[in-house]
Amino acid sequence: MILLMVVPLLISMYLSMQFLTFQTMQDGPKFIGLGHYVDILSDPRFWQSFRFTFLYTFVNVPIRFFIGFVIALMLDQLTKTTRGVYLSIFLLPFIVVPVVGTIMFKQLFEASGLVSWFYRAYLGQKFIYSEGIVKTLIILHGIWYVTPYVVVTYFAGLQTLPKQLMEAASIDGATFFQKIRHIVIPHLSSLTILIALISIMDSYRIFDSVFVLSEMNPIYKADTVMTYTFQTAMSLGRLGKANAMALLTVVGIMIVLIPNLIMSYREQIADR
Amino acid sequence: MEPIKNPIARLFIHLGLLVFAIYSVIPFVWTTLQSFKTFKDANSRTPKFIFTPTWDNYAELWLRSTPENGPMIAWFLILAVVLLISLLLFVEYIPVKSSYIYWFVAITFGALLWWIPQAVDTAKFYDYFINTIIVATGTVVVSISVGSLAGYALSRYTGMAAVVVLIAALAFRALPRLAFILPYYWIGQTLNLLDTRFLLIIVLVAVNQPFTIWMLRSFFMDIPKDLEESAMVDGASRFTAFRKVIIPIMWPGIISTALFSLLLSYNEFLLVRILTQNNWTLPVAMSPYTGGEDPRHLMIAAAASVSATIPIVIVILLFQKHLVKGLSAGAVKG
Repeated sequence: MILLMVVPLLISMYLSMQFLTFQTMQDGPKFIGLGHYVDILSDPRFWQSFRFTFLYTFVNVPIRFFIGFVIALMLDQLTKTTRGVYLSIFLLPFIVVPVVGTIMFKQLFEASGLVSWFYRAYLGQKFIYSEGIVKTLIILHGIWYVTPYVVVTYFAGLQTLPKQLMEAASIDGATFFQKIRHIVIPHLSSLTILIALISIMDSYRIFDSVFVLSEMNPIYKADTVMTYTFQTAMSLGRLGKANAMALLTVVGIMIVLIPNLIMSYREQIADR
Repeated sequence: MEPIKNPIARLFIHLGLLVFAIYSVIPFVWTTLQSFKTFKDANSRTPKFIFTPTWDNYAELWLRSTPENGPMIAWFLILAVVLLISLLLFVEYIPVKSSYIYWFVAITFGALLWWIPQAVDTAKFYDYFINTIIVATGTVVVSISVGSLAGYALSRYTGMAAVVVLIAALAFRALPRLAFILPYYWIGQTLNLLDTRFLLIIVLVAVNQPFTIWMLRSFFMDIPKDLEESAMVDGASRFTAFRKVIIPIMWPGIISTALFSLLLSYNEFLLVRILTQNNWTLPVAMSPYTGGEDPRHLMIAAAASVSATIPIVIVILLFQKHLVKGLSAGAVKG
């Protein structure tokens, strides 16, 4: 694993300081030091993509949590067989190939799609792709795609609720919402932190859905950090700069990751 | 939690779940409908829900030329696949040793895959499909065999080094793919390995390994130590104890992990897109249909999406329990 993961990271650091494009591949890399980093930090498109990634994460994550929690509570009320059916249905968007899921999602919004028709028939407007619409679609797709995961994990968490505590609360006359507020939410808090960290990190590296929905067209200004890095590497062929950019995202993700790492480190030490 | 009795509240619960279920499946239903429509039906101004279905889009996607007995072959294949799946679904009720049935299904499936290009003139998409199967299977086999050894070791050895390895694995799982793929692209270029399945499998294993190790380890932790210790007292070596005692108990956990590893490699887009030019897997084979002005792409894209989703639906049908268990094991314990 060290060979497969650490070595590439070191190569990435090395490459990020070289001027390297597809055209100059044969001549070998040329050392330019921190030039790429300066270049990126003064690149308006990089900051724009960074802002959109940020927006995506902070709109998406709370909505996912709210819907996911409510649906999991509802699912908990059902009998075992109906639960299985619903779980299968809910798993579908999460498990399907992300690119394919996005294509399917997009079909609804094509000129002949269901939503566009709805738009025409009831709002009397044509459905046109614009900056705002594409951004909204990407965020909506994010909710559609990850909420099932939140539902399933919360549902599993609800199964571990201590029974005595709930019964004691009922005997003391607690209402349904009081029970949720004072027993269920505290019980699930560690799970919530975990899902929050995972989904923030996953939103941070969103790629597939943006690739399909915006077709990486700069008109929509809907680039995320990942798609912009991809474009720099593949369309512009500037491998060195893309490497530097990828490393900058690593630094960004570390800010979220380090508390998570410390947490699981303590857990491991405690387990020992 | 104890059930709510109030009938109005229960009505709301059912309504809410139904709405969410519809929200989840509506893209799938709509795309499936679109994939069976003719050009005129698919692009009509008002959506059509009643129409005469056609196989044309699938034929255009999968075949280079349409054979005369095409519908017959299609029905035969559907029948064969349904039969194989029902064999797997009802494996417990058949009075034959279940491992024979698994082998039978695997061999028949392989034979079918080999037979199809002999019978009909298949297009590029079929090659991508085969490619996907090879890459995904290779990844699962390698990452599970390495991962179960590593996961077992990490669950039994609790020194400082184990903690460091686990935390490092977690960190690598969280990092953006591009930070690894671009160096691999460079390595591939220098070693002349670009566009080979070998490189794809290696990189996919590297990317998925941290996840496999964590998941398998959390399953191994559930197995009491006494078990292999008693086997070792009886004279088995540690490896024999691992192979003969631990692995048989671990099967459900291994299946869960293998499933997730399979899904991860089947779903991977970015990595395959960068590291290959011709040896594409299905998600990348999809990308020509994602955009463009040509309205004909609409139904082909729909047909391609449905084709790529069917294996996933089969997996959910067969392994729903394992999937839910794996998801919750990853989150609740990991």
